[in-house]
Amino acid sequence: MLSPYGLDIIESCLTCKMRAERIFCDLPTPALQAFESIKYATAYPKGAVLFVEGQAPRGIFVLCKGRVKLSICATDGKTLILKIAEPGEVLGLSATVSGKPYELTAETIDPCQVNFVKREDFLRFLKDHSDACFKVAEQLSEKYNNACHEVRSLGLSHSAGEKLARLLLEWSSKNGEAAKQEPRLKLALTHEEIAQMIGTSRETVTRLFADLKKRQILQAKGSTLVIRNKVALRALATNG
Amino acid sequence: MENATVESCRECALRPDRLFCDLPADALEAFDSVKSKVTVPRDTLLFKEGQAARGVFVVCEGKVRLTVCSDDGKRLLLRVAGPGEILGLSAVLSGAAYEITAEAIEPCQVAMVRRKDLVLFLREHREACLQVVNLLSEDLHVAYDRVRSVGLGRTRKMRVAL
Repeated sequence: MLSPYGLDIIESCLTCKMRAERIFCDLPTPALQAFESIKYATAYPKGAVLFVEGQAPRGIFVLCKGRVKLSICATDGKTLILKIAEPGEVLGLSATVSGKPYELTAETIDPCQVNFVKREDFLRFLKDHSDACFKVAEQLSEKYNNACHEVRSLGLSHSAGEKLARLLLEWSSKNGEAAKQEPRLKLALTHEEIAQMIGTSRETVTRLFADLKKRQILQAKGSTLVIRNKVALRALATNG
Repeated sequence: MENATVESCRECALRPDRLFCDLPADALEAFDSVKSKVTVPRDTLLFKEGQAARGVFVVCEGKVRLTVCSDDGKRLLLRVAGPGEILGLSAVLSGAAYEITAEAIEPCQVAMVRRKDLVLFLREHREACLQVVNLLSEDLHVAYDRVRSVGLGRTRKMRVAL
């Protein structure tokens, strides 16, 4: 069947094949059944906003398919991308638990399947299922580590070049590319978005990329980047 | 220190005011049996960024400074933690290294719980697990605020070209 956005919706968590690999979803059967009864499986197109920073928390969003951009905003409209969430991540968790407004904005960058759970339902679910509660603690821990990492990189790095080099190394370490001599990575973000990830301007990112290519550290093949000189990139990442 | 050390959590008078410590009796008893109480002088390093996470520290008395560090040793203050907070929680639960450095800025009383014991304790005591989820959410809010102020409030300076 042809579905909108080319997404194959997984209706039931109980029969989901990807469940075993996902930190949150790998729950024992009773908890999973309870979760099944309170969740709503929904599909979103690319560019949809799941929740906005400052909104009262409605509930959590479990990302099943696709990726979501998480960002924070300054009062003058400057945006900082904290993270690109991957499938398996639970979004809006800390706001839902604490009852404080969402602290991030979540926007889809692919067509996504998202399982939504209302706040009251989720809190009751956590009280009843200690396994799920433990998983939530694990998820929150990871988010916290990520936030600390972000503070460190934003507050203590010297230059945009250093931060870009770090980001590229981080991305290239995924999908088993890390061990390769010349790791490849697919650039899924625009220069504008990369600028928002490292807290600089779009112009600077474009200039930095041009410079990295000129120095034969990077090579672009369509939207795929090849890191030609890992040693040089690592040197840039450590001292700017 | 002028305050006498309260050895057992059950006899602690301050307990009801504290987010983590206000647990039901059975959970408290279990916690009592896994924790070890220590009094540390000022400037004690409770744990350091990058160290493998051994366990968590519940602050009973005193204040603890939480910082992050760059490779060249520059430090950035995350926040100051006070009584009733659990430190090192996220590192212990995710099984990673400590993400931050915690240092006593006053003489402190802390209760330490080893990693294995804490995980077991949380699995058996639902209320404690819920408290931990609450605490982590609060921590996360503070951390995001810090990201906001560091990442968006900073003036552009020291931009060294590549």
